[in-house]
Amino acid sequence: MQTVTIKPKSELTISVEAENISPDKFAGKSEKDIQSLEVWLGNHKTTLGDLFTIKVEGIGTAADVKIVMEGNFSRVKRIGEGMTAGLIMIKGDVDMHLGAKMSGGKITVAGNADSWAGREMKGGDIIIEGNAAYYLGSGYRGESCGMRGGKITVLGNTLDFAGEHMCGGEIYVNGNAGILAGISNNGGKIVIGGNTSRPGSEMSKGTIIIKGKVDEMMPVFKLEGTEAVDGVTYNKYTGDVIGNGKGLLYVLV
Amino acid sequence: MELLIKNGSVYDPVNGIKGDRTDISIRDGKIVDKVSSSASVIDAGGRVVMAGGVDAHSHIAGAKVNMGRIMRPEDTRLGIKPRTKITRPCTGYTVPNVYAMGYRYAQMGYTTVFEAAQAIMKARHTHEELEEIPIIDKGALTLFGSNWPTMDFVREKNMDKLAAYVAWGLLASRGFGIKCVNPGGGEMWGFGKNVTGLDDVVPNFEVTPREIIVSLMKVNETLKLPHSVHLHCNNLGKPGNYRTTLASMELADQVRARKDRQVLHVTHVTFNCWGGTNWGDFESKADEIANYLNNCDNVTTDMGQLIFGSATTMTADGPVQYANAKLLHAKWANGDVELEDASGVVPIFYAKQVSIHAIMWAMGLELALLTKDPYKVLLTTDHPNGGPFVNYPEVIALLMSNKKRQEEIKTLHALVNDRTKIPGITRELDFNDIAVMTRVGTAKVLGLLDTKGHLGAGSDADLSIYDIIPDQIDPSIEHAKIKSAFSSAAYTIKGGEIVVKDGEITATPAGRTYWVDATVPEEQTEIMMKDIRHKFKNYYSMNLANYAVQDEYVTHPEVIKAGAIPVEVS
Repeated sequence: MQTVTIKPKSELTISVEAENISPDKFAGKSEKDIQSLEVWLGNHKTTLGDLFTIKVEGIGTAADVKIVMEGNFSRVKRIGEGMTAGLIMIKGDVDMHLGAKMSGGKITVAGNADSWAGREMKGGDIIIEGNAAYYLGSGYRGESCGMRGGKITVLGNTLDFAGEHMCGGEIYVNGNAGILAGISNNGGKIVIGGNTSRPGSEMSKGTIIIKGKVDEMMPVFKLEGTEAVDGVTYNKYTGDVIGNGKGLLYVLV
Repeated sequence: MELLIKNGSVYDPVNGIKGDRTDISIRDGKIVDKVSSSASVIDAGGRVVMAGGVDAHSHIAGAKVNMGRIMRPEDTRLGIKPRTKITRPCTGYTVPNVYAMGYRYAQMGYTTVFEAAQAIMKARHTHEELEEIPIIDKGALTLFGSNWPTMDFVREKNMDKLAAYVAWGLLASRGFGIKCVNPGGGEMWGFGKNVTGLDDVVPNFEVTPREIIVSLMKVNETLKLPHSVHLHCNNLGKPGNYRTTLASMELADQVRARKDRQVLHVTHVTFNCWGGTNWGDFESKADEIANYLNNCDNVTTDMGQLIFGSATTMTADGPVQYANAKLLHAKWANGDVELEDASGVVPIFYAKQVSIHAIMWAMGLELALLTKDPYKVLLTTDHPNGGPFVNYPEVIALLMSNKKRQEEIKTLHALVNDRTKIPGITRELDFNDIAVMTRVGTAKVLGLLDTKGHLGAGSDADLSIYDIIPDQIDPSIEHAKIKSAFSSAAYTIKGGEIVVKDGEITATPAGRTYWVDATVPEEQTEIMMKDIRHKFKNYYSMNLANYAVQDEYVTHPEVIKAGAIPVEVS
């Protein structure tokens, strides 16, 4: 087991590109080695050790690495990018692109996550106890495939375009979602516990379940009657009919 | 400024040098017979020396290239390279930014590249990008095949007016030659339709693609343009289109060349040598095209080789792109250029296990290997339609190694064995053939053999040195080495200046832009301009005075004189 504890040295007001904060990058490295890993502070190249105090206990492979982050990381981007194993526990807020392209391991956030959390992730687990902003589990600009596998759980709310271009995996949002949740869904599963509006246009495959209220439905779905999922009865829709889509949309009756 | 390249294994087919140890002397940007003893010396150490690469068909600049960049932000994320002290930042793979275009060509040893299609109306955009592409010399072919004036003059059978229009269009676009894309089809696409063969009549104009192609070829020879008509055939992208391609090639017999080159260049044959009647019985007829080429000497072609992975199809053939977007459920951009053709852009991913893609992969190779004379098949990927140009070394390795081809075939959809001839072709090209397909042949097809594509005295001092010692390598077996050497030139020399060393950019001079100034009798132009003024007054959204590209947009011009009347030499 290798435990790495990270705290900001001072309040960060300029964004930090920290794709090097990842179990894969820390595995088997000493405190000094980790401190010397490169990060960008705005347009300026610096090191992790310059911005953060870092303590390391033990040593291990990526799967054995546990990264504990304490403090405010709301200007720190790309934490856990591309990670394949291990654990990151963040006891605060994080900036954009949390766990982008990750394929394994687990990230927990006690606070809020900014946009693009779990962007294009392939596997693993992200749990956000607060809120997530825009484009949760989506594909980045222009991509035809967003999240492809793994699971994202948000206990709070999320904003617009959750799961855009999803090709696989699961997103659970306990609270409300902004507009167009699951737009262009190509095979993922999205469950929204609260309310949303205009879910699932351009769906070709995949499933979206809305347990709260849908303010407005896109006129591109065909009502197929009602169906019970886990003992709850929903109106079942298929679509997007314009693209001959085979997506399933369940909305609470 | 003098430079001596010593001890190279030189491949210079024009001058009959086939790998012999030869010294190359350079003075003031030109190749000369000899230099003084104070010249700087590069010891090639027996490595391969060739003239700088010349590409006759690539989409490197202009409206549709930029449309590709706009609609594919995800492509920008590939190939990101920060700036250095001498290079600007690079982005993109299938649609790189302008800087990457120049650097990446130079790194492969290429020094001259032609953009294959610009509409006159969009030419200013093309030149704004060409201006920013570093290092390489370049030029752009101008679209004439579906322009309203072209079709009017063809209907009137008035070749004088058509010649005057082509000459004026080349001047207005600072263009290099006549490009003809799905003639007639671009106009019909404005009404949601397309032509289906050489004898379909284009409504409102009452002309056929056959008449357009033949008329443009005639005018091309009247004007004695350096390049021939450059044709993207009708019916491209449709199974069974090889018949249209063959019929188009036969049209070349109706016109006699007035320069030492072909009368017709049929481009990216991978996309128009298709047999079958639908996607189910789709098959390669590249052998039929090769057979035709083996028995004719007035037509040349290029491969348009398919490369597996990401590509961006972009063409002035608007209707074929709509069909592609529907077929692939892909994003689609459509461009309309008022009275001058159309365009479309659709991203695609070529997959080894998709039968159609596997068969298309074989087509370009079949064409190159079954055509006996390498001068008749140039090496291209129709960048970025078949794949990005950075994959030329992969194509070179495939052409030089049957072993590599057989290894590749094993990873492809099994139909490649039944629907193509590629598994049974054992021919392996040598360095001399490659020099023809990437240098001499290209320069000859473009009509630039005086100064490009070879290493004789008087030629431009553009050359590349590759980290291959010919007598110590068997390209058939060591194909990986061939690919890596051609990917990253040991030296690229452009105009006598070392621009690449060991695959890294060392200098970024501005390249020149070739365009053709063709003269016709003034009264002929005046008669033609009456029609043009009428078109601008009634149909164009812009003013004639704002139409032509000004000299400010071509700061390093290389003007080639041509024309129907003799040019006074003082």
